[in-house]
Amino acid sequence: MSGLRSGKRLHPELRFLGLAGPGAAFIVISLLLPLLSIVVFSFWRTESYELYADWNLDNYRTLLGEAAYRTFFLRSLVTAAIVTAICLVCGWPVAYFIARWGGRYRLLLVLLLAAPFFTGAILRITALQGLLGPIGLVNMTLVELGLPPIEALMYTQLASGLGLVYLFISFMVTAIYLSLVNFNFELLEVAKINGAKPWRAFIEITWPLNWIGTAIGIVLVFIPCLANVVTPRFLGGPDATSFGMSLSQQFGETGTWALGSAMGVFLFLASFAVILAIWPTIKLKRSGFTGAVQQ
Amino acid sequence: MPNAALELDSVTRRFGPVIAVDRISLAIEQDEFFALLGPSGSGKTTMLRLIAGLEQPDEGQVRIAGEVVTDLPPYRRGVGMVFQNFLLFPHKTVAENIVFPLRMQKMDRAQQQKQLGWILELLHLQGLEARYPNELSGGQQQRVALARGLISRPALLLLDEPLANLDRELRSEMEVEIRRYQKELKIPFVYVTHNQEEALTMSDRIAVMRNGRFEQIGAKTEIYTNPASAFVAAFVGHANRLDGQLSEIDGGLARMNWAGGQLLVPRPADAKSGDRVRYFIKHEDLEVTAAGLNGGGLNGHVANDINQVSGTLRDIIFKGQTANYIITLPQGTDLVVSDTPRTITLKPSDPVIVRWPAGSGACFAAEGA
Repeated sequence: MSGLRSGKRLHPELRFLGLAGPGAAFIVISLLLPLLSIVVFSFWRTESYELYADWNLDNYRTLLGEAAYRTFFLRSLVTAAIVTAICLVCGWPVAYFIARWGGRYRLLLVLLLAAPFFTGAILRITALQGLLGPIGLVNMTLVELGLPPIEALMYTQLASGLGLVYLFISFMVTAIYLSLVNFNFELLEVAKINGAKPWRAFIEITWPLNWIGTAIGIVLVFIPCLANVVTPRFLGGPDATSFGMSLSQQFGETGTWALGSAMGVFLFLASFAVILAIWPTIKLKRSGFTGAVQQ
Repeated sequence: MPNAALELDSVTRRFGPVIAVDRISLAIEQDEFFALLGPSGSGKTTMLRLIAGLEQPDEGQVRIAGEVVTDLPPYRRGVGMVFQNFLLFPHKTVAENIVFPLRMQKMDRAQQQKQLGWILELLHLQGLEARYPNELSGGQQQRVALARGLISRPALLLLDEPLANLDRELRSEMEVEIRRYQKELKIPFVYVTHNQEEALTMSDRIAVMRNGRFEQIGAKTEIYTNPASAFVAAFVGHANRLDGQLSEIDGGLARMNWAGGQLLVPRPADAKSGDRVRYFIKHEDLEVTAAGLNGGGLNGHVANDINQVSGTLRDIIFKGQTANYIITLPQGTDLVVSDTPRTITLKPSDPVIVRWPAGSGACFAAEGA
């Protein structure tokens, strides 16, 4: 009796595939296909806003050969690194405070981190412009008080970087927070009883045991920053053009889609390299990760 | 005591309106295995945390090896601690976990390895050095936690219910082991437990805690045989509880009216005739025999300095070395007698007589009376 039934029953993997199938198909179609098409376009040629399918490496030659693109990319790379570092240094204490002392309000506090997302990114950046710009709150106040305005805040790389920190710090805080809520703070008491001063306990215990969340936060901040378009456009000056901004111009103003695609591929590879660099630092066993990894 | 390993001087800790530790004074000797025994919420864990420096006392002073440590943070107190849930560092190997205290002391590597070898051998942990905590059994994890607590030969080792998460067999094995380490290393141990058998097996001296105060403190045999209060009598060992009223005081003894008869009990301090009292007699102090032909009807009689009551054997709970004989008395209460199972051949529903020496056991004024 049971033999007949089990004969008809689908294999567990197959049944699961039935559930996961639609989502997986959507991801493949909406993520991988456009990505593939960009790879293809990057080897094509654009002329007068038209794409021609004659295969060549000119786009990559331009990209690697012209100094301007190198500058844009290095600028984006350095900006992303600095912004990530600032988010890390500012985000850790906030996440720690919420996880440790937030008590019954900690979920609310974390949800409030999402408050800026209630409006769009452009609106938020415009609001930041209203704070930092020449007629913004900071500088106007200084002028009113008879002090010189802070020029570094007006349409500069600094302003653009501040904008990035503002846009992405909540990702960092959330990632670290989610790691810390699963962290057993009693381990710190153990470390202290065994002779570790508070900072030593942090380095020995808290940091390594929350490295997964921190690494996720770093990736979540660094990669979008590398591709950043918005903040240099609204907050940066003429010397703030980022790689991403230049990339978007290829698809807009100049209409050089093939070159833009090549830039996209380059950006993708750069981001992938970041993930590859972080990957070996994450050792699940050493992280205190308790979920069993199926072999 | 100038050379006490640990001294508490009227230490108090409040949490809001709750007084978790209430003016506790205590001195623990070098070489001593000291148990803090009490039900959950009695303040014993808070006391341990006060000694470790994880809590600050609101009043009073803590001294370790003569030095005042009341205001020192835990990492300057030089004590070791072992926790109920082991609390090993999950990202460190067994060896890294164990040498952690030595690394914090900046001991040189060669010395660290020497100490590690010594403690691994002492706790039978050789071969597990490279494992991670999640690859160890519960018993192994507890040994590693002990090794971490002991490796630096701390001035004091605090143990917070370290065996509560282990299964019974392993627990009794570890009870003996832990006592052996203490005796070998001559490090004073302060052992918190709610398990009276653990406290009795392992310690030299026991403090029974209740509501943040010591109900009684003394050698374990003293606590066991001579409880100072009804709470201690009920908490330590297994005792029958009989509630009655004193009728006659006679020197150190008193007659207690109970269930229509009388029993000769020790006289509670300051007790007067007519006081309501609570009498405790340990299971193993009672003796059960088959009722003789003329033994029926006896209930609460004192004859030849023997208390005796008659009842019906309801059940025998065989426990191996001993058996518990549960005897139902005519008025409905149960008495438990613990005896060697071989000595008597009784069957359930047999009429029996229970006897014990008059004046043994412990008797206290009924609480709230």
